[in-house]
Amino acid sequence: MMVTLAMHMIDIVQNSLRAQADMVTITLDERGDESFLLFRVEDDGTGMDRISLERLTDPFFTTRTTRRVGLGIPFLKMTCEQTGGSLRVASTEGEGTTVEALYRTDNPDCLPLGDLEGSLLLLVMANPAIRFRFNYRMGEEMFRFDSGDLREQGIDLQHPQMLLPVKEYIRENLEALWRHRAAASYLC
Amino acid sequence: MMEHTTGIKTLADLKRIQEEVRARISLRDKAENPESLVQVKVAMATCGIASGAKEVMEFFALELDKRGIDAVVTQTGCMGYCFAEPTVEITLPGHDPMVFGYVNPKKADEIIERYIKNGELVDGIIPQNYNTIES
Repeated sequence: MMVTLAMHMIDIVQNSLRAQADMVTITLDERGDESFLLFRVEDDGTGMDRISLERLTDPFFTTRTTRRVGLGIPFLKMTCEQTGGSLRVASTEGEGTTVEALYRTDNPDCLPLGDLEGSLLLLVMANPAIRFRFNYRMGEEMFRFDSGDLREQGIDLQHPQMLLPVKEYIRENLEALWRHRAAASYLC
Repeated sequence: MMEHTTGIKTLADLKRIQEEVRARISLRDKAENPESLVQVKVAMATCGIASGAKEVMEFFALELDKRGIDAVVTQTGCMGYCFAEPTVEITLPGHDPMVFGYVNPKKADEIIERYIKNGELVDGIIPQNYNTIES
């Protein structure tokens, strides 16, 4: 089971990587006034045909050969629906896939965010050929992280000694956004 | 050494840290030949992530560097040993890959100190390759 949103993020991004994506865009959109958090992963991978898309939430459907279950999407569906939210997946063969999970943040079953920055950076470190964009929106304000832009600026995201500094950079910026969070929100 | 720096908030701060890191690593003679690197692959599918693979991968990335071992830490998919997650595949230079199961940071520490540094086998190895003896 996934106990944080960051764990779902690593998991759903793996699907994009297996679909040979070159660019993965992760968006977290926190809307205090409407009490929801939208978590979205968009990729430019191979996409899925209609049959795969229909069976996606079936835990006994997988394209793997090493095991007969596929729980990534079913778990995500479960954790967002348990808050009163919903899951939406759109995919076009040859163009890419978008997975979108809506969490109600006024529901105490809403998952904690977890270690978003650490999880993101491990994905970036392990997949140097992929461009990762991470956007966190809080109302009118937004923090953007783009592994392609940072590399152009000379930041070596593959170096283990940059892991903690970049982590702190993301964390500091996220915490600045979280200060605007509504008191009634269960997100943490 | 790797100390926790505070007050990194802007791109300029990151660039400053990057310069410090660059100055440090240019002093260390890093082997460029990938054959001489230890390869660590952490299984990061649903089963691995749910069992704590992220903490294990982070531990390997930070600790191998801290202990001066030239290594590449990356991720892989599910190898079919979901029961034994987190699993980690380690390839020492010139050796066959070895898969370890039930790895947590404590186990990872033991793997670094005993298997990676000294080539000693430690508990938790998953027999991955079966060779049939032809009669």
